[in-house]
Amino acid sequence: MTLHARGSFADRRRLTTYLAFLVLILLSPIPGHAYAGPGAGFAVLSSFWTLFVAFLYSVYAFFVWPFRQLFRVLRRRKAYGKARIKRAVILGFDGMDPELTERFIGEGRLPNLEKLRARGTFRKLRTTYPAISPVAWSTFITGVNPGKHNIYDFLARDLGNYLPYLSSAEIKGPKRSWKIGKYTIPLGGPRIKGMRRGIPFWHWLGEAGIFCSVIRVPVTFPPEKFSGVLLSGMCVPDLKGSQGTFCFCTTRASGEGFREGGVRVPIERAGSRYVSYIPGPEDPLAGGSGEELRVDFEICPDPGKNQARFTVDSETFTLAVGGYSEWIAVKFKAGVGFSAHGICRFYLKEISPEVEVYITPVNIDPGRPDLPISHPVTYSIYLAKLFGPYATLGLAEDTWALNERVLDDEAFLAQCYGNHEDRERMLFDALEKTQQGLCACVFDTTDRVQHMFWRYLEDDHPAARGVPREQRPTVIQDLYARMDELIGRVMKQIDEQTLLMIVSDHGFKSFARCVNLNAWLHQNGYLALKPGKTESGDWFDDVDWSRTRAYTMGLNGLYVNLKGREREGVVEPGAEAESLKKELCCKLDGLVDPASERVGITGVFDCDAVYAGPYVDNAPDLIVGYGDGFRASWDSVMGKVTNQIFEDNLKAWSGDHCIDPRLVPGVLFCNYKISDEKPAIVDVAPTVLKLFGLALPGHLDGKPWTVGISTDRPVKLSPAP
Amino acid sequence: MASLVSVPMGSFGFNVPSGIVIGISLVIGLLMVIVFGYTSDQKAIRAAKDHLKAHLLALRLFQDQIHVVLRSYGRIVMATGHYLRLAFKPLLFVIVPMTFLIVQLDRYLGSEPFSTDRAFLVQARVDNSDALNHTSLQLPDGLTTTAPPVHVPAENEVAWRVVAAREGDYLINVQVEDQQFAKRVTVGSGLPRLSSVRLRGRFWERIFRSAEPALPENRFVEAIDVQYPSRVIVFLGFEWNWIWLFFVLSLAAGFLFKSILGIEI
Repeated sequence: MTLHARGSFADRRRLTTYLAFLVLILLSPIPGHAYAGPGAGFAVLSSFWTLFVAFLYSVYAFFVWPFRQLFRVLRRRKAYGKARIKRAVILGFDGMDPELTERFIGEGRLPNLEKLRARGTFRKLRTTYPAISPVAWSTFITGVNPGKHNIYDFLARDLGNYLPYLSSAEIKGPKRSWKIGKYTIPLGGPRIKGMRRGIPFWHWLGEAGIFCSVIRVPVTFPPEKFSGVLLSGMCVPDLKGSQGTFCFCTTRASGEGFREGGVRVPIERAGSRYVSYIPGPEDPLAGGSGEELRVDFEICPDPGKNQARFTVDSETFTLAVGGYSEWIAVKFKAGVGFSAHGICRFYLKEISPEVEVYITPVNIDPGRPDLPISHPVTYSIYLAKLFGPYATLGLAEDTWALNERVLDDEAFLAQCYGNHEDRERMLFDALEKTQQGLCACVFDTTDRVQHMFWRYLEDDHPAARGVPREQRPTVIQDLYARMDELIGRVMKQIDEQTLLMIVSDHGFKSFARCVNLNAWLHQNGYLALKPGKTESGDWFDDVDWSRTRAYTMGLNGLYVNLKGREREGVVEPGAEAESLKKELCCKLDGLVDPASERVGITGVFDCDAVYAGPYVDNAPDLIVGYGDGFRASWDSVMGKVTNQIFEDNLKAWSGDHCIDPRLVPGVLFCNYKISDEKPAIVDVAPTVLKLFGLALPGHLDGKPWTVGISTDRPVKLSPAP
Repeated sequence: MASLVSVPMGSFGFNVPSGIVIGISLVIGLLMVIVFGYTSDQKAIRAAKDHLKAHLLALRLFQDQIHVVLRSYGRIVMATGHYLRLAFKPLLFVIVPMTFLIVQLDRYLGSEPFSTDRAFLVQARVDNSDALNHTSLQLPDGLTTTAPPVHVPAENEVAWRVVAAREGDYLINVQVEDQQFAKRVTVGSGLPRLSSVRLRGRFWERIFRSAEPALPENRFVEAIDVQYPSRVIVFLGFEWNWIWLFFVLSLAAGFLFKSILGIEI
């Protein structure tokens, strides 16, 4: 017998003796022996408590259910009375492009969409003016034009100072505070006001007793009350209150800060360790001094294994170079009783010779949300408990980090698909929970990946010059194939009484050339700089407003510097303003890029012609429709006047849709036959309401489609293998 | 183990049982939480608890979807089983030392000594009924019987009613024919180590119930039993058995320490 074998035998004997003894103890008649410390005590107690509560609630729900149904009937909220469908499943793929979709279907990459096209419906879906996600999805949600929902861009301008603010939501500090010396004690939570107007169509469904699960549909922050569950999407801020500020920690001394989207933080050496910090929100006790809260962390590199150990608060984890952490909970403490809870992921870029770490924007912790990001509040907690922490930031995929080359292609894609997988889990949970009613879920990956990888689709994109054709990854092709595979899995979950609709808010085109419209306005005498200046800073620094008649900020809006509206307006309302708008339309429409000899602007649209509603006064005066391959320059978006009107776009952000809306329609796939030839995104809401048998509210701009014209039943589809 | 426990007991003095239970509960609560933290799969326990909470929230969120409610209930049952399974591993590590500790503590805190003014029973069980008639009780100075012995032939038992004149640690002897079998009896107050029974053989029962050496093998007497009165501990205006107080306080301590130490239970 070998020593090992003897050891094993002895171990077995010891184990047997131990287990026998254990059984004896467990069977012992003295009650005290059943208790084995608080660990086991908690386990047993909480288990019994959980089961007890669950049992009580199940019994309650079971017995109360018929009465709730009866109550609905008595209130004339009889759901599904005239409904033609039992359930509507709407998958939103932000930015899915109809031309690329057709091309990839033709190449045999998208078998499930091909099946939908062949047996159901495929159309180009007319988008909004402008073709920007918050605008188009707001129209999708409300069934009205932007003049009625008040969203015209990501940004709106402050008429008092020409500075931008987020168009969808306003977050302010608490109404009252108590000042003690240098400290300010906030009395109450932050005030959040949604700026989007109009009523979401799921509100009407809920009123009729039709349950809705709505996941990450853009411009749903702050979440509004309705009969269903909703997780807010695009426009949810990070913990700093921004739309996403990443943190790049580095030991490298030099390096400029980032113009937008991120902050550079030094890593200090402390013996064999390194220390740095995550910048957080403003200290609420500092009384608006701008002092920010921080969470320190420590890095212990192990160059031999090409990895490093991180310690953040009480959490310790190890990352290999090129690897992401899980979501790490961070708590920014301001003082007793004041703290902000966030989550972020760490990405180890380098440990030798320098140490560099990328940290995602600090997302609001969905398990402990400091701001409401779902309706009811417990829905985000439910999802976090079920699937673990997940990205809550509206623009969760950090395109800025890739633009600034803090992340490489691979790291960015890993981040995108990590978020995408979380979203898929949420969708399938919602599908399971919503056997009747509406289930709507929007996926952002399609938009972000196309924005950042379009450069590889074209041979001559300036952002991919020098990359040989054979080395260009097929990221976008893979993206569409992946979405098709997801659609196939969803198709397995639906029956003949379910409407499946796949929509995108807009399509996509190349963004190879930048147009600085402020530079054009300057060079053509519409915008003036202060004496001696040839360029302005960001947000119109050094612009002479007393001599400026028009300006642009944001992606497509062009504004007249109107007297009585803008603080330093000079253009008289009425005839002068109208004349100026016409003049600008004439000059800009058909503007040619001298370098490429292509048309940079294919249309300029007067807002009075494209919008109608109570909020038209907040709209830009003109919407600029850039041509295929063009978009507003990075500087122009930020209100900066430069010398050059046209220039190459060298950033990874190489595809875009903020152009002439006629060039970038979205997609519409449906398992029903739809007869309408030119459907628009504004029609989705009235169509769904009608299919559920509801009367359409009079203020809707969309028209319901004629659905199921050839058959009253939706086409039963089995997913492609 | 017994001697280990008896040292701190002695140093605590007397009439402070609630203080002792509080102190022990806090220490045990802390130790057990630490052991739980080291021996359990913390990540899995956290996930299991989160799933439980999620299914509970689902009951509320989807209350109008009766199929979701019923399915969630089923999942809660499953998740509870999973959670208990995860909690079982640390239980394996702590149950043996905890059992011994509780057994030893019970000898100090479970009962209190006899008082001088109240009679108590001494019962002896013999291995054959013939021996019953030859069984007598030899009492030391300070203890007296207050009634003739009662024989229970069906049980092979004989019982005496005894009363103590003064406090003390006594050794009583049960005599059968020419052989004597001793049993310790304590009369007084404080927190002495008490053993209510002395047994012959029955190893495991002795481990859990007796604090005295085994009675000689193959002799007449199987067990000598005295029933000490249960100790009542007054805490927060309530009367407690020490084990319940220990249970409540160690749970409270565990709750406190788990939060401080960041250990998931």
